[in-house]
Amino acid sequence: MTQYDAIVIGAGHNGLAAAATLAGAGKKVVVLEKNGDPGGMAANSTVAPGYECPAMAHLLSNLDGAEIASLGLERHGFAYAATDLPTISLSSDGKHIVSDAKGVRYADGGALAGEAEFLTLRARLIRFADQLAALKRKPPPSLSGIDWREAASLGKLALGLRRMGKEDMREFLRVLLSNSYDTILDEIDDGPLAGAFALDSVLGGHVGPRSPGTVLTLMYRLANGGAKHQPRGGMGAVMRAFEKSAKSAGAEIRYGAAVERMVLSGDRVTGVVLADGTEISGARVLSSLDPKTTMVLAGVGNFDAEMIRRARHIRTKGCTAKVNLALSAAPVFTGLSDDLHRGRILHAPSLAVMEKAFNLAKYGELPTSPILEVTIPSLADPGLVDGDGHVLSAVVQYVPYSLKQGWADDSRNALGDVVVDCLDQFAPGLKAAVTARQVLSPADIEAQTGAPGGHWHHGEMIADQMLMLRPAPGIERYALPVEGLYLCGASTHPGGDVTGIPGCNAAKAALQVKLGRAAA
Amino acid sequence: MKTEQYDAIVVGAGHNGLATGCYLAKSGLKVLIVERNDYIGGAAVSRELYSGWTYSNCSYVCSLLRPEVVRDLDLARHGLQVIPYESGATFMSNGDHFAYYSDHDALRREIARHSKKDVDAYDRYSKFVTKQCRFIKPLLLRTPPDPVRFRPRDIQELLYLGKRFHDLGARDMADTLRFYTMSVGEFLDEFFESEVIKAHLAGSGIIGTGLGVYSPGTAYVLLHHYMGEVDGSIGAWGFTRGGMGGVSKALGKAFEASGGTIKAGSALDRFLIKNGKVEGVVLENGDTYTANTVVSNMDVRRTFLNHVEDGELPGDFVKAVKRFKIRGSSGKINIALDGAPTFNNIPGTANFLRGDLHASESLDELERAYDAWKEGRWSEDPYFDMLIPTHVDPTMTPPGKHMMTLFIQYAPYELANGESWDGPNRDAFADTVIDKIARYSPDFKDLILHKEVRTPWDIEREVGLTEGNIFQGELTFDQLLFNRPVPGYADYRSPIRGLYLCGSSAHPGGGVMAAPGANAAREVLSDLGRKGFGRAA
Amino acid sequence: MTGHRPNLKDGLPVRRGLVETPFDRHLRPFSLAEDWMPWAGFVSARRFETVEAEYFAIRNQATLFDISPMHKYAITGRDALAVVNRLVTRNAAKLGDNRVGYTVWCDEDGSVIDDGTLFRFSETEFQLCCQEPQYSWLHDIAWGFDVTIEDQSDTIAGLALQGPTSFAVLKEAGFDGVENLKPFGIMDVASGLKISRTGFTGDLGYELWVEASKADELWDRLWPAGQNYGLRPIGGEALDMARIEAGFIAARVDFQPIHDAQRPSRGRTPFELGLDWLVDFEKGHFNGRRALLEAQRRGPRTLLVGLEIEGHKPARDAFVYHGKKKEAGHVTSALWSPTCKRNLALAELRAPYGVSVKDDLWVEIYHPKEGKWEKVMAQAKIAERPFFKNKRRSATPPGLF
Repeated sequence: MTQYDAIVIGAGHNGLAAAATLAGAGKKVVVLEKNGDPGGMAANSTVAPGYECPAMAHLLSNLDGAEIASLGLERHGFAYAATDLPTISLSSDGKHIVSDAKGVRYADGGALAGEAEFLTLRARLIRFADQLAALKRKPPPSLSGIDWREAASLGKLALGLRRMGKEDMREFLRVLLSNSYDTILDEIDDGPLAGAFALDSVLGGHVGPRSPGTVLTLMYRLANGGAKHQPRGGMGAVMRAFEKSAKSAGAEIRYGAAVERMVLSGDRVTGVVLADGTEISGARVLSSLDPKTTMVLAGVGNFDAEMIRRARHIRTKGCTAKVNLALSAAPVFTGLSDDLHRGRILHAPSLAVMEKAFNLAKYGELPTSPILEVTIPSLADPGLVDGDGHVLSAVVQYVPYSLKQGWADDSRNALGDVVVDCLDQFAPGLKAAVTARQVLSPADIEAQTGAPGGHWHHGEMIADQMLMLRPAPGIERYALPVEGLYLCGASTHPGGDVTGIPGCNAAKAALQVKLGRAAA
Repeated sequence: MKTEQYDAIVVGAGHNGLATGCYLAKSGLKVLIVERNDYIGGAAVSRELYSGWTYSNCSYVCSLLRPEVVRDLDLARHGLQVIPYESGATFMSNGDHFAYYSDHDALRREIARHSKKDVDAYDRYSKFVTKQCRFIKPLLLRTPPDPVRFRPRDIQELLYLGKRFHDLGARDMADTLRFYTMSVGEFLDEFFESEVIKAHLAGSGIIGTGLGVYSPGTAYVLLHHYMGEVDGSIGAWGFTRGGMGGVSKALGKAFEASGGTIKAGSALDRFLIKNGKVEGVVLENGDTYTANTVVSNMDVRRTFLNHVEDGELPGDFVKAVKRFKIRGSSGKINIALDGAPTFNNIPGTANFLRGDLHASESLDELERAYDAWKEGRWSEDPYFDMLIPTHVDPTMTPPGKHMMTLFIQYAPYELANGESWDGPNRDAFADTVIDKIARYSPDFKDLILHKEVRTPWDIEREVGLTEGNIFQGELTFDQLLFNRPVPGYADYRSPIRGLYLCGSSAHPGGGVMAAPGANAAREVLSDLGRKGFGRAA
Repeated sequence: MTGHRPNLKDGLPVRRGLVETPFDRHLRPFSLAEDWMPWAGFVSARRFETVEAEYFAIRNQATLFDISPMHKYAITGRDALAVVNRLVTRNAAKLGDNRVGYTVWCDEDGSVIDDGTLFRFSETEFQLCCQEPQYSWLHDIAWGFDVTIEDQSDTIAGLALQGPTSFAVLKEAGFDGVENLKPFGIMDVASGLKISRTGFTGDLGYELWVEASKADELWDRLWPAGQNYGLRPIGGEALDMARIEAGFIAARVDFQPIHDAQRPSRGRTPFELGLDWLVDFEKGHFNGRRALLEAQRRGPRTLLVGLEIEGHKPARDAFVYHGKKKEAGHVTSALWSPTCKRNLALAELRAPYGVSVKDDLWVEIYHPKEGKWEKVMAQAKIAERPFFKNKRRSATPPGLF
C-alpha cells in the first residue's frame, strides 16, 4: 500500500493549493475528492447541454498575484476573460449607477452627487484593507503566546497603521467593528450606490448591512482594491489550473473518493478509509472540510468535549443561493451599453431594502425582492456556450438555508421565478429567453460541496469568527490536536473567497511541524 | 441679568452632572450647577404626576451606580437606599411562565421545567458573565487611553489594559474577544436550548439600544446591564427607595453639603468661549456665570452642536460629533394602579411578581420587534421591562395602591413617513403595550387610574436626552472606550480648553452609573493640579 | 417539557427553598438538634443530636446517612463504555460488570471537574454518582455517540449504611447474598433496590440505592433490623470526620471543581490531588488527556497532601509555612481524629513544597480560648493516607462484629 506524506481531503481551491504547496516541498501527496470534478464551491455546471456556467462562485477578487505566481496558475491555463469589471447597480427608475476603479457615474455617463464622498470612503477603506492584508498569509496571531517568527507581521501591521497617520488610525479603530450601514450612510445617501458598495460586506453571509462587524468583512473584500475579474472558462477553468498546479507539483488526485473516516494510531492520524473501504495511509491529513465534519471523520472521541462544543457553535447559516440560466439570446438591460453588460450587475437598490431582505431570511422565508450579483460570463467568454446562446449567473443573497417550508422543487422554482422576474423588469424579454434554469439553494450547495449550512465561507465572516477566533479558539492555527491533522479550508484564517490562501497557509503550517518517528 | 463668578460650572443636574459637581465641590472649588428643569435629576427623578403617586418617571431601577461613588460621596448618609428586588419572570402565551427566582435551588427547578439541559448551562452562563464583569469593572472608573497618541499616560494605560487582558490566559482571552464581538442571541444560543429562557435573559442585551438580539455587539450590552451590583451582589438590580429621584436627591444633598450651588429652572443658551477657551455660560434668560472650567452633562451632540457657536470647533470634530449615533429606541409608560394586578395562573404571593416582568418568549419575537424599529414603527409585539416597585417600596403610593413602570423596546425616534409621535400615535403606542399586558393580566386595564406615556420625543423634550436615548449614545464598539464619544476625545476633554463632558456620552457610557461624572471630575481636577480620586489619564 | 401547560392551581409549578428527600419523614423525628443544612436543594442533617456520638457510631456501630441528594446519572446505550471512558480519567473497560470505581473527570485543561463513583452494570449500562451537577456536561461528552443520559437524582434515593455492624444489619434485614459482596461490588437485592459495598467512611459499609417510591419500604425493613446493632442516623458533620480519616477528598473543600471556578488558575489536575493512580494514559483519548500529559511532564504546581500536626488543636483554615516563615500552602480539611488519636489535616501545598521539599513544615493555627484568640505555630509532617485503616473494611464475608 502506498504511504503518502500527506492526504488532502477535498479538491476545492484550498485543498488543491494545499496539495500543490506540499507536493512542491517534495512531499508525496494525494487529494481525495468525493465528487467527479475539482472545485467544490468553485466549479462549473452544465445548465443545459452546451451551456457551461460557473456553478456557484463566478468572480475573482481576492485571488492574489502571489498565489497565481506561486502556484503557477497561468502556466496551467488560468487566464482572465475580463478584468476590472465595472459594477452596475440597477435602479428601478432606470438611473443605474456604474462604479469602477476610475469613479462612479450614471450608466448614461451623467455625474453623480456624492461621488467625491464615496470615493474618499472607498479609498480609505481600501487603505485599511491593505493594512489588514498583511495578516492574511500568516497563521493568525496567537493568544497563547507570541511566536517571534510571526511577530514581524504584527509589527508590520502596527507600523503600517502608524504610517497612515493619526486620523486614519483613529478612523480605522473606530470603524473596525462597525456596520457598513452607518459607515456608508455617514458619507452618502442611501440608494443603489450605497447598496452596491455594501453588498460586498454581506455577500455570502448571514448578516445585514446594519449588523455590526460588516465593515471588517467589507475590508476583507477590498483587500485587492475590490476589483472583480472574470476568469476565462468560468470558475471551472480556474479549478482546472489549480488541479494542474497540484498535479504538476507531483500530487495525485483521486475523484469519486469520499472519505468515510480517518485512521488514528494513538494520538496521531495515519490515514483515511474511503467509502468503498479502501484504506490510504498518510502521515498527515489536511481537511478542507469544516472543523465539525473533520472532527467527526477523525472520531469525536479523539477531541475534548469543549473543542467539539466550540466546533458545533461555529455559525454557518448559509444565506446565499445561486440561479444559473441558459438563455437563447443575450439579455438586454435597459439603459446599459454593450460593454456594461459584461460587468457585474447588481440588484441592491438600497441598504434599507437589503436589510429588509435579510429580515425575511432570518425567519426562514424566501425573498420577495432578491438582492443579486449577476454576470453574463458568456459575453466575454463565448467558449462557455456552444452556439449563439448565453449563460447568466446570479448569486442570490438572503436565501435561508433553513427555509420554513423546506427545500423542495417548488421552493426552488419559487426562488427561480422571483429572480427571473426581477431581472426581467430590468432586461425585458429575459424571461422569455430562458431555456434552462438551475437553482441551487444553500441546502443544495451543502449537499454538493460539503460546506456546512451551504455557507459560502464555511463559517460566518464576522469579527467573532475571524483572525484568532477563526474557525474557533484553540484551532486557529490550522493544526487540530490530533497529531498530523490539519484544517485547510475556507473555515480557517483568513477565510472565504477563491484565494487558495487558507490552503497554502495550512500546508506551510503542516510542513513546519516535524512529525515524530512513528509517522515514518 | 446678572453675572456671577465660579470656579467651575456644571451644565445639567443629571446624576452625572451632580456627581461631577460633588467631586469638584469636595475638593474645595466653588461650583455651580445649572439645570434647565425646575427639578434636579435629569432622567433619575421621582415626580408626582398623579396626586399621591410618585413615579420614577424615566430611569426606574438601580444597579450600576458605582459603589466607589456611593462611598466617596457618602450617599447613604444623604439618604440613598437601594432595595434589591427578588426574581423576575417572563409570561408565556400558552399560560405558562418562566420565573427567574433569586433562590438558586428554585431557579434550577424552574429551568428544569423548561429544559433539563439548561439547568447546568445556566450556572455556566452566569459564571461566564460574572467573569466578564470582573474583567470590566476596574475599567469603568479609568479614563481610556488614546491608542494613537503614545503619550506616557496613554502607553501606561494601554499597557494596563493589555496586561489585564493577557492575565486572563489564552482561553479566556479568546472567550472575551468573542463575547465582546458577538450578538446576545448567538451568545445565549451557545448555552441554552429553551427559547423562553433565552428571551428572558436577552432583554438586557437590547434595552436602550438600536440593535436587535442578533446584532453583533449586543452581548456587550448585556454585560453593560450586568456589571452593576447591589451591595456586592454582582448583576443584582434594585429599587431606589422613594423612586429613582432618590439617587439625585442624595447627590444633590451631598453637593450642597460640600458648599455647591444648584440653580434649577436655568436653561443654557450657550457656552462663553474666547480664543478656544471656555469662560462661562450664558443662560436663556441672559444671566451670565463665568468660570474657567465648565462641564457639560448634556450629550455630546447637544453640547457641541446646540450650544457652541459655529466656528469655535474644528470641522473634523463637528463632523465626528454629528456622526455620533444617539438613537431613540425606547418608550416608557408609568401607570397608577388602584390595586395589585393579578396575572393568569400565578398566585399573587409569587415573589417574582416583585421583580422585572416580561412577555417576550423567543429570540425571534425580540428580533421581529427590532425589525419594526428599523422601519420606523414601534414594535407591534414589543419587549417590555415591567416592574411594580410599590411591592417593595410602599412609600410611593397611597396604601394598597400600586405604581407600575414600563420600559418598552422598541420605539423609534423617527416614525415612518415623518409622522408625529404626539397625539394619536402616542395613544396607539400605549394601547399596543397595555393590550399586550392585558392578555396576561385580566384585571389590569380596570385598575388603571392614570398613565403617563413617554415617547422618544417626550423623553427628549423633558430630559434633554437626544432622541430620548437612555445611554446618550449607542453602546456599539465604534462608540465605546477610546472611541467614546469621539476618537481622540475620550478623556472627557474637548477642543475647547476648559470645557469638559461628564454625561453618559463619555466613557463608560449610560446607565445610572455616575462613572462618567466621577471620571470627568478627576480629569478636571488633574488639569487644575488638584488631587482627585483614582487614576488620572 | 416546553409547551406543556402546567397545573398551576395550587400555586407555583416549582417548590421554592429546600425540599425533602424521600427519607425525610423517617429521619426528621430523630433530629433533636434541628440542625439542617442545604445540600443540592435538599434538606440534609448536619447532626441529629451530638456530632461526637454520631462519629463514634460510624466507627463502632452502624449508621445511616441520607445520600439521596447526590447527583445520579444513568449512562446507557451502545456507546456507553466509550462515553464513560471519554469522560473519566481511569479505564472503565478494566472495571468488571457490577463493580464500582472511584474516579475523577477533567476539563480540556486537565482540571478536575468533579470526583465520584462510577457504577458499571455492563458495557452498555453505567451510573455516575457525584456531588456536582453534570447533566449538561454529560451531554457535551456524549455528543456524537449513541447513548442516553438520564438524570436519576430525583428518582433514586440513597442511604449510606456504614460502620462495623452494617453487614449484621443487612443480614438481620434479610438481604441475602450481601455476604458475598466484595468491596466495590454492587448487586441487585430486590426489585428497585441495589446495594453497593462502597462508602465515604473508610470503614465496613454499604450504600443502598432505591427507587424513590420504594424508600419507605426500605426504611421499614432496615430500621427495625438495626435495633440490636446500634443503628442510628447521622449528619454530615460526623461523616466529614470519618471521610478525612479515610483520606477522601471533598469537592469545594479540598479542591475547587473547575466548572464552578471563575478563576481558571484554581483548577487542579488529578496529579495535584494525589490521584495519579486514577489516570490511565494507555486507554486512548479521554477529556483532558493531552493537557494531563503536558501536566505530567511539567510536574504538579500544587499538591494535596495529608498532614499530621503536633498538638491537638484542629488546624482548620490554617496556613502552612515552610521554615515557619515562607508561606507554602493552606489546610483544606482538618480534625483531631478520635480514632487515630492524631491531629490530621489535608493541605494544599505549592510546589516545591510537598513535592520535593517535604520537611520543616509548620501550620499556623488560630483557636479561640474563651473569647480570646490564640495563635500556635505547630510542626507538621506529611503523613500517608488513609489515616484510618481497618481490615474489617475489606473482609469478605464481613464480620458481624
